[in-house]
Amino acid sequence: MSDHDHAHDHDHDHGHGHDAHEPLVVEDDAGNIEGQILVDALQTLLVERGLVFPGEVRREIERLESPGAHLGARLVARAWVDDDYRRRLLADGKSAAAELGVGVGEAQLIVVENDATTHNLVCCTLCSCYPRSILGQPPAWYISKAYRSRAAREPRAVLEEFGLKVPDEARVLVHDSNADMRYLVLPQRPAGSEAMSEDQLAGLVTRDCMIGVSVVGPVS
Amino acid sequence: MTRGYHDIGGKDAGPIPIVELPWLHWEKQVEAIRSLLGDGTRRMMSLDELRRGFESFGEDKYKKLSFYRRRLEAMIDILIEKDVFTRDELDAAMAEARARWAPPAACRS
Amino acid sequence: MGAAGRLPVMRPRFDAGDRVSVLELGKPGHVRTPFYVRRREGVVLHRCGSYLNPEELSVGKVCGPVVPLYRVGFAMTDLWDDYRGSPADMLCLELYDHWLAPAAAAPLDGEPARDDEAFEHGGRP
Repeated sequence: MSDHDHAHDHDHDHGHGHDAHEPLVVEDDAGNIEGQILVDALQTLLVERGLVFPGEVRREIERLESPGAHLGARLVARAWVDDDYRRRLLADGKSAAAELGVGVGEAQLIVVENDATTHNLVCCTLCSCYPRSILGQPPAWYISKAYRSRAAREPRAVLEEFGLKVPDEARVLVHDSNADMRYLVLPQRPAGSEAMSEDQLAGLVTRDCMIGVSVVGPVS
Repeated sequence: MTRGYHDIGGKDAGPIPIVELPWLHWEKQVEAIRSLLGDGTRRMMSLDELRRGFESFGEDKYKKLSFYRRRLEAMIDILIEKDVFTRDELDAAMAEARARWAPPAACRS
Repeated sequence: MGAAGRLPVMRPRFDAGDRVSVLELGKPGHVRTPFYVRRREGVVLHRCGSYLNPEELSVGKVCGPVVPLYRVGFAMTDLWDDYRGSPADMLCLELYDHWLAPAAAAPLDGEPARDDEAFEHGGRP
């Protein structure tokens, strides 16, 4: 799990560290095997009781794996090229997503728009709510204790850690996804993108821009 | 005043660990089973019940478990609470699952 | 949900622009109102529809009532004494009706007003 090792600065060798200030708890190899054993045992019991079928679990995994940031990027690109669509997206994200064949599983999608004077940032302080049906699974840092704790209190410092300095004169809006709504940031269309097609534009839109920890850079 | 140990908005914390980790198979399995148990035909466990599970199983456990392990343990707690199975039955199923993972006996020849 | 599919529905007490105070209900168990907004004042941004109360869902109760949910905005400087940023910076989140009172109409640690007329019977809006 060398990928996991640089998840945090601590050099203890076990995912179940006892450091109360752990910013992100990750499993080591033994922890991952234990997790696999435990979930296999759970699945065995549920299958024995006829509550789920093994094939259902496999299909459900495929269903959960299929959404990704490409879906959110399509909404953003359409909003950039079609101002009427942009207005519909801001008014009712779920219905506007459905227009493009993108299904939003959550109760409602609230799309918040960045402009020259406003920067939006999405977090979830209580757990890890995230618009999974249009962005896929949240990144590890989004579910970290550090991001959950700090985004609501010092968003500008958090954004600087992501390399983004929001000008003092611009306002920052933080959206804590604490209940039934889910949030998507509509980034600003970058300078230099005027001649680009909708598909090309979608290619510029990253997951991080739609969470609000990044912006779409100018196109050269 | 009631503040759950999961309610950490505004608390002090270190730098954001800006890392990307792979989504592992067992973690997908946890989410898939959770999703199936909460679906419209089964309605066996809501997301809020799952959250109650990990918000009430103790701060030490909450803090030391990874995100998906926390959800897995909470899901099991709730299913035991609902008498879907017992802890003993889970332990037995785990022993069987563990046996499948046991390393092969050392070759002595 | 009952054979008739009838759920008690709470009528929304607030609308966009209303100043509200967040109560400290002191409820143990699963709640979705973060500690950091309790006893603070904010402004209702808009209504979000009505939903089953997560406090009841968390213990398997699904018979309602469905509770209005609002998006509420707070000035960061009202939430954090040591906030560093623009006075225009805001935090927005969602609050269920029973956690709110009209601003300045505290007590913030009491039971919320529960006017029976706030309930009507019928399906989910």
